[in-house]
Amino acid sequence: MNKEVFLSELRKKLSGLPQSDIDERVSFYAEMIDDRVEDGMTEEAAVEQIGSVDKVVETIMSEYPLSKLVKAKVKPEKKMPVWAIVLLILGFPVWFPLLVSIVSTVGSLYLTLWCIVITLYVVDLAFALVSIGCLISMVAGFVSGEAMFGIAAFGCALVLGALAVLLFIGSNYTVKGVVWLTKKMLLGIKSLFIGKEK
Amino acid sequence: MDIQLKRGLLDVCVLAAIKNEDSYGYQIIKDMKPYLELSESTLYTILKRLEAGQMLTVRMVEHQGRLRKYYHITQQGIERIDEFKNDWKDIEAIYRFITREDGSNE
Repeated sequence: MNKEVFLSELRKKLSGLPQSDIDERVSFYAEMIDDRVEDGMTEEAAVEQIGSVDKVVETIMSEYPLSKLVKAKVKPEKKMPVWAIVLLILGFPVWFPLLVSIVSTVGSLYLTLWCIVITLYVVDLAFALVSIGCLISMVAGFVSGEAMFGIAAFGCALVLGALAVLLFIGSNYTVKGVVWLTKKMLLGIKSLFIGKEK
Repeated sequence: MDIQLKRGLLDVCVLAAIKNEDSYGYQIIKDMKPYLELSESTLYTILKRLEAGQMLTVRMVEHQGRLRKYYHITQQGIERIDEFKNDWKDIEAIYRFITREDGSNE
């Protein structure tokens, strides 16, 4: 891919951001490519070192604050025509509940994900507590002369303790997964705002 | 590496790269390459952040028929480096504390 293609593709995929931001980014990458070429690289090699357009866009998006993205989208560069404003006001009963439901759907998705995590830890805690309880009844069993009961309680304590440890490890992995997923979700939401041609 | 720690570290690295003389994007990346790999996108964000924090100023210089952005460190930028050097002493003390705990546990 040569410089021209890279830059125009980058510009296309960044559309939706404020124009000044796009210009600045594109000229930054243009300078980077030119400097590499001056350093003795071919144009293709220089572009390749910068990385794929998608990768670049993804980095930009992940660093771009969501609030700024929304603002750039909501505040159009051209003035809104009157009919659009009238439509917006008349359509309020339609789009407002829709907006609220979209926002609350995303919100409840987040909430559900974290509830799953909390549930896992609560169950894990329950295992650990019951395991300790079994240990106590084991002691009680031996003290009162019920050796068989004591041994059974000890077995239960071991099994439950092991389960607690395993579940704890599993839960930690789940947290990592959830964090990764929420990051991806945020990136997905951001991609709704940029890269769409007007 | 912890993302907050890395971010602070990279800011100071870029400031250090322009401390002695004004430099431009690709030169900064080349200068830092032996120590850490820095992508263009990351550098852009750092430069923007430093500019917003008035730690550097930007000027356009004509170079071979095109414009190149040169970055110049400000007094505040130099102070930021010094601040980091002082912070580093604290970090070293904390590091010694952490490794000492390691030794006593195992």
